[in-house]
Amino acid sequence: MILTFKINGEWVTQEIKPSLLLIDLIRDVLQLKGTKPGCLEGECGACSVIVNGDAINSCMYLAINVDGKEVTTIEGLENNENPLHQVQEKMLEHGAVQCGFCSPGMVMTTKAYSDKCIAEGITPTREEVKKSLEGNLCRCTGYAKIIDAAEAVYK
Amino acid sequence: MNFDVISPKTTPELLNAIYDNQSKNFRIGAGFTDLINQFKAQETEGLILINLAQLTEVDFKKISENEINFQIGALTTASELIDNKSIKENFPVLYQAANKLASTQIRNVATVGGNICNVSPSGDMTAALIALKATCHIIDCDGNERKELLSSFIRGLKKTSLTKKELIKNITIPKNFSKNIKSGYEKVGSRKSMEIAIVSLAYHLQMDDKGVITYAGVACGAVAPTIPFTTSACEFLTGKNINDISDSEKEEFAKRVLSYANPISDIRASDWYRKEVLFNISKTIFER
Ligand SMILES: Cc1cc2nc3c(=O)[nH]c(=O)nc-3n(C[C@H](O)[C@H](O)[C@H](O)COP(=O)(O)OP(=O)(O)OC[C@H]3O[C@@H](n4cnc5c(N)ncnc54)[C@H](O)[C@@H]3O)c2cc1C
Ligand code: FES
Ligand code: FES
Repeated sequence: MILTFKINGEWVTQEIKPSLLLIDLIRDVLQLKGTKPGCLEGECGACSVIVNGDAINSCMYLAINVDGKEVTTIEGLENNENPLHQVQEKMLEHGAVQCGFCSPGMVMTTKAYSDKCIAEGITPTREEVKKSLEGNLCRCTGYAKIIDAAEAVYK
Repeated sequence: MNFDVISPKTTPELLNAIYDNQSKNFRIGAGFTDLINQFKAQETEGLILINLAQLTEVDFKKISENEINFQIGALTTASELIDNKSIKENFPVLYQAANKLASTQIRNVATVGGNICNVSPSGDMTAALIALKATCHIIDCDGNERKELLSSFIRGLKKTSLTKKELIKNITIPKNFSKNIKSGYEKVGSRKSMEIAIVSLAYHLQMDDKGVITYAGVACGAVAPTIPFTTSACEFLTGKNINDISDSEKEEFAKRVLSYANPISDIRASDWYRKEVLFNISKTIFER
């Protein structure tokens, strides 16, 4: 099956097996290893990427269904002026990264959510920030610092 | 996983795909948040997947309203329900149920049709739709259409009335006849996020301007093989004034809800715990 989609700003055309999962397309075919395989059951959010503006779990998504769409992975947040996205900077400032396995997922979910809030002119409450991260698990930090970082994006 | 995929873009293409594959082993998929886990646990060699995710037909996707009801396309995601202002305003029970389902990432892809057709006793959007007396609009590959009340469409654990030729196109909910409503979705799990319900209660009450209950829809999840609409509890409330329901009436209502519960004990909770919780949350809906 032939798939044409945008990955991190660039259109690509790729031949794939119809049953391929998006996470395997990203990690194994495109060799972008920043998207992490955690539970592979939709529970942990380590594999989160952004498809047409929405955060989704790439382990629960068929690769064929990104046809014609725009996919952003953690690698796509870097550009020449800013090697780190604002969300990543806030994570560093607040010590929100320990082993780092959950971090790409945390960053992508937070980015998708903050893009929406900013577009609608909303400053979310701490409870809302927490809720936006309910699909992302972290074994190391105890969450407080991650939530602090995600909240700081609006300050 | 190793299956073949057909991705129809239009309704005729979809119906042809279903028609052509009647003699084969095929499945229909929408958001795949249930199906991918099922596929991983089974042999998928030779399986054909009819993928609804690339369908462009508005009838399957849009939320709209006419004089008598709201129509929700089967492919509407939980996130799209949450973002819809009319749904939030008119049917808080459905808004809350969609918002309490899993996580943002799952809500962004999980569809209403998939939640219904997965027929889980803990399906959150399904419980809300049962309380709202929703109707399923079903089409088949011979060009026939039929409607069925959601509560009878679900026939038992993992069973619906769908034949191999059919699928759900959309769901309708009767419009409220009153602005005075009490509506919500209580979901009890062992933690706040990412939890399949241990017990849930979907309720939607409509009152006249004096507070007399003119419509009561109450359904309970995860306490029986299907999600029962608690008719006798609803009848008990109808005609009473919401502002002066006595403690003993609240208990009687909760007892009637409980009479529909026939829970199992599993790793998440015992049958005893499920009944206690259901009884207690039923009593307290009047306080919310
Ligand atoms: C981590 C995780 C957490 C979850 N948490 C919850 C939760 O809290 N609450 C909850 O209710 N659910 C939960 N679920 C289950 C799931 O996300 C929902 O049931 C979801 O609504 C299914 O929709 P879908 O579009 O992904 O369905 P799919 O997986 O695409 O399909 C599910 C079933 O429905 C059938 N189907 C789909 N659309 C149609 C149609 N239009 N006509 C006929 N048949 C159709 C399919 O053939 C399949 O049998 C969770 C799942 C995961 C992975
Ligand atoms: S790896 Fe996808 S949600 Fe855990
Ligand atoms: S930093 Fe280790 S899992 Fe989150």
